[in-house]
Amino acid sequence: MRFLSDLWRILRHDKGALIGGAIVLIYCLAAIFGPMFVEVGNEQDASQAYLAPSWQHPLGTDSLGQGVLSQIIVGTRPIMIVGVLSAVITVFVGVAIGLLTGYVGGVADTVIMRITDIFLTIPGLPLIIVLASVINTTNPVVLAFILSITAWAGLARAIRSQAMSLRSREFVEAAKLQGVSLGNMVGRQLLPNVGPYVAIHFLLAITGAIYASVGLFLLGIAPISGNNWGIMINLAMAQGALYTTDSAFYLFSPMAAIVILQVAFVFFSRALDSVFNPRLRVQ
Amino acid sequence: MVSYILKRLAMSLLIIYIVVSLSFFMIRLMPGNPMAALEAQLRMQGGLSEVEIQQRINAVYSVTPDAPVWEQYLRYVWGAVRGDLGRPITNPGTTVVAVIAEALPWTIMVVAVSLIISFVIGIAVGAMMAAFQNSRFSQAVTFVVSFLSAVPSYLVAIALLYVLTSVYQVFPSGGAYGVDVTPGFNGPYLVSVLYHSVLPIAASVITSFGGWALGMKGSAVSVLGAEYVRAAEARGLSDRRITQSYVGRNSMLPMVTQLALSVGFMFGGSVFIETYFQYPGIGFYMIQSVGQRDYSLMMGCFVLITVSVIITNLLVDLLYPLVDPRIANPAARARAADQPADPDQEVLPAGGSMA
Repeated sequence: MRFLSDLWRILRHDKGALIGGAIVLIYCLAAIFGPMFVEVGNEQDASQAYLAPSWQHPLGTDSLGQGVLSQIIVGTRPIMIVGVLSAVITVFVGVAIGLLTGYVGGVADTVIMRITDIFLTIPGLPLIIVLASVINTTNPVVLAFILSITAWAGLARAIRSQAMSLRSREFVEAAKLQGVSLGNMVGRQLLPNVGPYVAIHFLLAITGAIYASVGLFLLGIAPISGNNWGIMINLAMAQGALYTTDSAFYLFSPMAAIVILQVAFVFFSRALDSVFNPRLRVQ
Repeated sequence: MVSYILKRLAMSLLIIYIVVSLSFFMIRLMPGNPMAALEAQLRMQGGLSEVEIQQRINAVYSVTPDAPVWEQYLRYVWGAVRGDLGRPITNPGTTVVAVIAEALPWTIMVVAVSLIISFVIGIAVGAMMAAFQNSRFSQAVTFVVSFLSAVPSYLVAIALLYVLTSVYQVFPSGGAYGVDVTPGFNGPYLVSVLYHSVLPIAASVITSFGGWALGMKGSAVSVLGAEYVRAAEARGLSDRRITQSYVGRNSMLPMVTQLALSVGFMFGGSVFIETYFQYPGIGFYMIQSVGQRDYSLMMGCFVLITVSVIITNLLVDLLYPLVDPRIANPAARARAADQPADPDQEVLPAGGSMA
């Protein structure tokens, strides 16, 4: 409860963060409930192609006469699922490795950190592109694993350095004397202390995963099937949207959907940051 | 110092070895085995003897399909060491390395120039934001910069293409230089190269300078509150001396560290930018080869992108002791590595989290 009231106090004073949080909420609602109210039909009517915005189609229509807005709403869910799943994997692996190696130390720490350094150095996006084209999957879970292939490494390093400083604190010493298990030590004693940092990283990991997954669909590396924003832009570009002004709404609506969501996440994460870091509020 | 360099060198070679091995095993384990697919395709065409088919596959993947796996692997790695990464399926007349050798300079030019420009602009804007904290100006700039750093670079590329090459035909929509110039060291060619690189560079600068500015602001603000700055003020040093030698230099340190990490990210982002601007860099060929199922070229691009990133990281690592003398001193380095990272600064990574 303290947390929520703190969060509300910060949001009330920081308009950007408030709007960001509200937008994230709206996108979440659209992802959960959107497909119940809106559907993208199979009927195609070329005579309805590239209509200007109207009450029936607030963002106009695409080359097949289907409403752009309804496609964007339906496309929210697959994007959010992959983003959140990938962030869960990234954060879970990063935090588990960071806390364990930071707390245990020794040879295990050295070995695992060398491996982490390797993942940190290999350029993530080219590796993701190679893996996605090799595996060529439509399964969101597999896609999420591919997207988090290198993303956990940076988090693991950051969490490790925090765990190392926690190791010498009194409450850890006390727990050690009581002989708590390693699982308890990591999960109950250390984890709550890095919680805030993890929460913010979770949001940023979602934006990173959305960036990469939309990119994969855009370039046509992930299979083009179903509805999502990356596929919409890909199709619009393939149909020559750059060379005609008719299709401007079709091309720019999914782009706007992505930009608004990404910006909202970043502004909202900044508000979380100042809830957790009272020092930031003073500055 | 020598052991510092040797360690970095060993680590770099290890990563290159791992990536080369990875590319070998990925081609073999890929669903629908591309080597078998190529073999079937060559049989279908007919007119080739069994030996010729084997030779063609050997040329493309630099792997003899009949040999045991460990022998194939050793051959592949040995080939990679000598700069033989096979031949592209789509154009067997040339080699993967030759295609990449032509493409790589373009990518390195665009990545290096946009990295330098966005770093310089970012540092300047960030320092200004720190100097005028809490002013209207700083708030407005913070908003703009946060906004831009959250926008994916490929969307900026599409928007630039739409406005500047399609609606207003101010810039060329593709290529590294015009068709009417002869490559070489002459004026028209250099101007054309510059002209064609404006949009790709602009797209990545627009989306990446914000990260640098925010990082620099955070770094400078935390230095401004440090004891040694107050001590310098108390000693009555000039403002200029304080900003340059105390605040400037110390707040630059974490930025230089970020520089090494962001190189990989810039190379990754260049894949999108090169594809959209049809700029004949390594990322462009990588995406083309994915589309054409040309796996030997795709893996070659991946290996070479990684090698370029590692070499650039190595360069940054070697330059780092110039900025921070502590780093070449093992005892000081161990102390610095064990210190917990400042959570305020690491929350928003410059250049994005998917590096």
